[in-house]
Amino acid sequence: MRRNPFLYGLQKLLLFLASMLLLSVTVFYAARLAPGDPLVAYYGERAEKLTPEERTQAEERLGLYDPLHTQYLRWLSNALRGDFGMSYKYKTDVLDIIGKRLNNTLLLGGTGFVLIFALSPVLGILCARFEDRPLDRLLCRAGALSSCIPEFWLSLALILIFSVWLRLLPSSGAYAVGKARDWGDRLIHLLLPLTVVVLSHLWYYAYMIRNKLLEEIRANYVLLAKAKGLNRRQILLRHCLRNILPPYFSMMAIAVPHILGGTYVTETVFSYPGLGALSYESARCQDTYLLMALCLFSGGAVMLCGMLAQAVNERLDPRIRPGGGMEVDHFG
Amino acid sequence: MPELLNVKNLSVSFRTPQGEVEAVRDVSFSVKAGEVLAIVGESGCGKSVLCKSILKLLPVTAQIKSGSIHADGMDITSLSEREMQKLRGRLFSMVFQDPMTALNPTIPAGRQIAEAVRVHRPRAAGTEVRCRVESLLTLVGLTPEKAQLYPHQLSGGMRQRCVMAAALASEPKILFADEPTTALDVTVQAQILDLLREIQQTLGTATVLVSHDLGVVARAADRVAVMYAGKIVEIGTVEEIFYDPRHPYTWGLLLALPSLAREGEPLYAIPGTPPSLLHPPKGDAFAPRNRYALAIDYEEAPPMFQITETHFAATWLLDERAPPVESPVKGGFYG
Repeated sequence: MRRNPFLYGLQKLLLFLASMLLLSVTVFYAARLAPGDPLVAYYGERAEKLTPEERTQAEERLGLYDPLHTQYLRWLSNALRGDFGMSYKYKTDVLDIIGKRLNNTLLLGGTGFVLIFALSPVLGILCARFEDRPLDRLLCRAGALSSCIPEFWLSLALILIFSVWLRLLPSSGAYAVGKARDWGDRLIHLLLPLTVVVLSHLWYYAYMIRNKLLEEIRANYVLLAKAKGLNRRQILLRHCLRNILPPYFSMMAIAVPHILGGTYVTETVFSYPGLGALSYESARCQDTYLLMALCLFSGGAVMLCGMLAQAVNERLDPRIRPGGGMEVDHFG
Repeated sequence: MPELLNVKNLSVSFRTPQGEVEAVRDVSFSVKAGEVLAIVGESGCGKSVLCKSILKLLPVTAQIKSGSIHADGMDITSLSEREMQKLRGRLFSMVFQDPMTALNPTIPAGRQIAEAVRVHRPRAAGTEVRCRVESLLTLVGLTPEKAQLYPHQLSGGMRQRCVMAAALASEPKILFADEPTTALDVTVQAQILDLLREIQQTLGTATVLVSHDLGVVARAADRVAVMYAGKIVEIGTVEEIFYDPRHPYTWGLLLALPSLAREGEPLYAIPGTPPSLLHPPKGDAFAPRNRYALAIDYEEAPPMFQITETHFAATWLLDERAPPVESPVKGGFYG
């Protein structure tokens, strides 16, 4: 509405690039200035046995002798050409390593996110529709319980029940050996971690929807809607839901990286090869370029989701649309 | 004229953690087709609750304790929510105090009116609904282009006009207007009141106008009911209430009007504060603030005394055994 979509996009793009640049500087300096020795990541245990000459040679070869800003600029000019550097630990291109793990995390986090995103409004609306009736009370109790159980405990309990006792589902990994392309096998491996991810996050968002809806349904405009003759279902779906969607979308956009990368605990308990474990590992052993790539990836995801949420919000709520609130007519 | 709305001995209470708040106590009145009944009284006397209890718009903590409500020949006292939904909008509708919050901020005004048109005509075609919205907007004095605007792009007066258009969409027989001008500035107030009167005359809609402003009432109403502490203390035609008031509370209200005050004298104010409706006092609730109070006022609530065919007042001063008291209100309001 009354804005140039091209300019708007350009503005957002510049903002995005500037933020990414700032993020890369911060992560680079933080990683390099932190105590620790990148050579340990490269040579492992052997790093301690290197002679001073070998050390100097190795550091020179890895470019660690140059001043930090030279190193950063070198990384930056390579990165702009698509080369994000090499992992000290794996000795391959960082993008390859991330690429291999990304699918697993996307599958677990992505499916989990979609399920949470779709199911929480359903639960929230059901609860609000039948406020304080048996269904609402039951869901509230069950939900509170499910979100109180820690992820690792739930994971272990599920492994105990479904893998050890019932022997129905595998307890770890993303696929059985040699079955990387077997989707049925992947799905079976996904079931337990996915259940944990969804159960531990779902109620948080569903409860937020429920409470926001109940807050909205006490708003003044609901009285007019009622006086017009609308019923509770129509008011909830046509009026209240619409008004709580903007905060819900922003919240879910922020939840994307949280659910996507925040499956750390679940990934660890199920020995699921995802990005969460990789980030932790690379930060621990000074694998600078891998850490930077991971941070830029998740940071970019956060920013993109935030911008997407804003774009959606602006479509849904006219008051925060640029230029939408300007022309108030004062003659009544 | 036939009676459209007949409320008999209605009592409404709110359940609160402190106990039961008796917001409306034993109220009876009726509204005839096409007339404007004004309900006046100070804040918290139960005016709004009375209206909302008739439309059943009150929260679940509110409860009709006793009495009956007949609307358009139907007993609607104990109708279910589902049955009420069929009546709201078509039999009666309501305009609210604060136009700033009465519209949903995220939906264009026209669509909120269209929604009201569709409620009772779900099969209406798009063009038909659009025509109806345009004619409603014209009726309330807005240009049809305003339909596309969001509430925040409209002024307070325009929003109140949109609220009225939405409330009138299904041609209700009774329109409740709960302080429709309180949140507006003075010049706009007059326009909205004139509009209410105009609509009432063109459509013949009976109107229940809630207000605490006697100036508003004099301008728009046919009959006036004065409420105090959840009860109607005096009811009569506008002329009777303004020229021949009988209840000491009505005297107090009229004396407190700036237009009746004499220059150089401080404006009259009724002493004291209204009683808590959590534990309403025995006898006449107004007695502690009433300088004409009789001993019996503290013992027993006065019944409604009939003065003329249309004029009733609940004060012991009208009992034949009471000492004669002359009304302090002289001259009359319109002067």
